[in-house]
Amino acid sequence: MSRKYFYTHIIDTSTLSLELGGMDLTPRERLHLISLIDSNIHHEILDLILSELNPEDKKTFLTHLTSGNHDKVWKFVNEKIKDVEGKIKKTAEDLKKELHKDIKMARGNK
Amino acid sequence: MTQSHYSHLRDRWRARHQDIQRKLWSKHGESLGWLSNNYKQLVSGSLGGLMLLTGQVSSPFPSLSITRAQAPLVQKVDKKVFLISDLAKVLPENVRSLDVVEERKISDILSKAYGIKVVPELEGKRLNRSYGFIGAEQHLARYPGDTLSTHFDSQEDRKSYWQSGMAQGLGAWGYFASNSSLTWLDKDREKYYIAVQTFLSKDFNSRFAEYRDFYKYRKMLVVNPNNGRAVVADIADAGPGESTGKHLGGSPEIMHYLERVDGFLKGPVLYFFIYDPDDKIKLGPIEIK
Repeated sequence: MSRKYFYTHIIDTSTLSLELGGMDLTPRERLHLISLIDSNIHHEILDLILSELNPEDKKTFLTHLTSGNHDKVWKFVNEKIKDVEGKIKKTAEDLKKELHKDIKMARGNK
Repeated sequence: MTQSHYSHLRDRWRARHQDIQRKLWSKHGESLGWLSNNYKQLVSGSLGGLMLLTGQVSSPFPSLSITRAQAPLVQKVDKKVFLISDLAKVLPENVRSLDVVEERKISDILSKAYGIKVVPELEGKRLNRSYGFIGAEQHLARYPGDTLSTHFDSQEDRKSYWQSGMAQGLGAWGYFASNSSLTWLDKDREKYYIAVQTFLSKDFNSRFAEYRDFYKYRKMLVVNPNNGRAVVADIADAGPGESTGKHLGGSPEIMHYLERVDGFLKGPVLYFFIYDPDDKIKLGPIEIK
């Protein structure tokens, strides 16, 4: 169900989906939760990228993003943002930790 | 208890998602507004771009395939995108009372978007605010003897809303009906009710009877400015207390539809009176025209 984004190749969310797989969820529920994980990560990364760009570069980035050309987006952000890969990885890892905590809490509520 | 795990995570992650979106619009509103204004020219089916503008998360129903639903989805998304963008331009960064100019701009935007006239003040009466944090209320007993076991019309509703529980007391105006022979209006009045801080209205104590009659089942448009979802609600209770940090409360059905949750992930809504002198506007979710 995971969609391909410009950063998909450097982010691994399998630990989260595996953990959901071990819970008492219907396939439909699991799928919906995975899409929420996807979307949360996506928006955090967009915030990270936009925060690092100047107004003109933001427009260029958004234009590339809506075109769906992931290679072009990836090339652009690498040119404009220092260590963008490390920053995206850290943003995603921080959020994943929070989401794992949420899962732990949900299990505790059972 | 599948429902418990799922609903807990779903609500939490939806709220988190809206929080991130709010942050995005607050920090990068100018660029996103530019994107939304040029959306039709730019978009070529990118899910990344679509999600960015709407917060649209894939449906929990697999039968709604993105490919099949793409054309109507884009049309529908366009309208929400513009509404979210328009509201973001007027709303303050932090949740606070709106001033008169902001209220006028917002009521114009909402009236245009939903095709109904909404106003912050009606018949010389206004609430203490029109933009604030919404908290979760419980179900209200609709008639003497109404309990959780008699409250729901379908198994689906029971499954979705049972866990919200039943309030111990009655709504501010008592039961919705005298017995179990409920009309659809009685049912909808409970299903889509809000509790507002009536007691904080100007001169409330000296104009008590006037306010009591005015607020009873008064229709309001409640809008989540972060996702463009809106409900025609009615006032059926007073609250929450000032010390809670919340400004109004929504029935379980309203909270679910607006994708709002209580607690530290609580989010704001806009709430304006609906001008409906002929009582023609139906309670419940309302779509952008």
